[in-house]
Amino acid sequence: MLNADPVIALLSRALDAAALRQTVHATNVANVNTEDYHRLEVIYSAEQQRLNAAGPALDAQEALQWAQAEPEVVESTEATVRLDQEMAQMAENAVRYQALLGAIERTIGMLRTAARDGRE
Amino acid sequence: MGMFGVLDISSAGMDVQQARLEVAASNIANTRTTGAGGAAAYKPLAVVVRSAIAEAQGAAGSPIHAAQLPMPMVAEVVEQDVAPKLVYDPGHPDADAQGMVSLPGVDPLTSMLDLISISRGYEANLRAFDITRSLLQRTLDLGRGR
Repeated sequence: MLNADPVIALLSRALDAAALRQTVHATNVANVNTEDYHRLEVIYSAEQQRLNAAGPALDAQEALQWAQAEPEVVESTEATVRLDQEMAQMAENAVRYQALLGAIERTIGMLRTAARDGRE
Repeated sequence: MGMFGVLDISSAGMDVQQARLEVAASNIANTRTTGAGGAAAYKPLAVVVRSAIAEAQGAAGSPIHAAQLPMPMVAEVVEQDVAPKLVYDPGHPDADAQGMVSLPGVDPLTSMLDLISISRGYEANLRAFDITRSLLQRTLDLGRGR
């Protein structure tokens, strides 16, 4: 039902990606003392990176297609986990997550206003 | 696994740090433990942490499914292969014929550094747990109000 509105669909895909990033950072932190552990990171496929480099999408439908790509969890080129770096990235990602939540909230608010014929 | 599984991983991370703390405390507490006749009674211990699916991670470059992220756990606690410290103390009941007492080879400096790293590791896991929890909470509050 959420997919009825393309903006909310797009925002929730971005929210999923941010949730995955949080998962991966927490996993790295938990495994800081694990033998033979290789740091993990979230990346997009080569195709998606090409699209990202091409700039922002134009309309909602295009943006939705643009957001279809699944982020992947792979081993990072940097093998060791650095706690400070991991925590900094986690904090940054948390802010992004909350910003996305705020955007969803406001979009829902706009839909609600429209559903009430513009009355608050 | 979704975001709720992250809480499990962070808890596992805290469990690991807890086990490391117990071992570090045991090493520090046993610095004066001696054995009869100059034999070493205690050897410094070390925690070996492995992740449940470390083997599956072997295939380099292939993406890892979000449901099988590695969860850390204490695989074993092993005795470190370090030589005992010999101290001249002829009056000690456990001294050998030459008056030497053998003390466990616990390095106080390494032990203290371990304690700092354990503390930081625990804090980081707790912080990660906290951030995940508050993000989940805010997500559950979505659309509420008004």
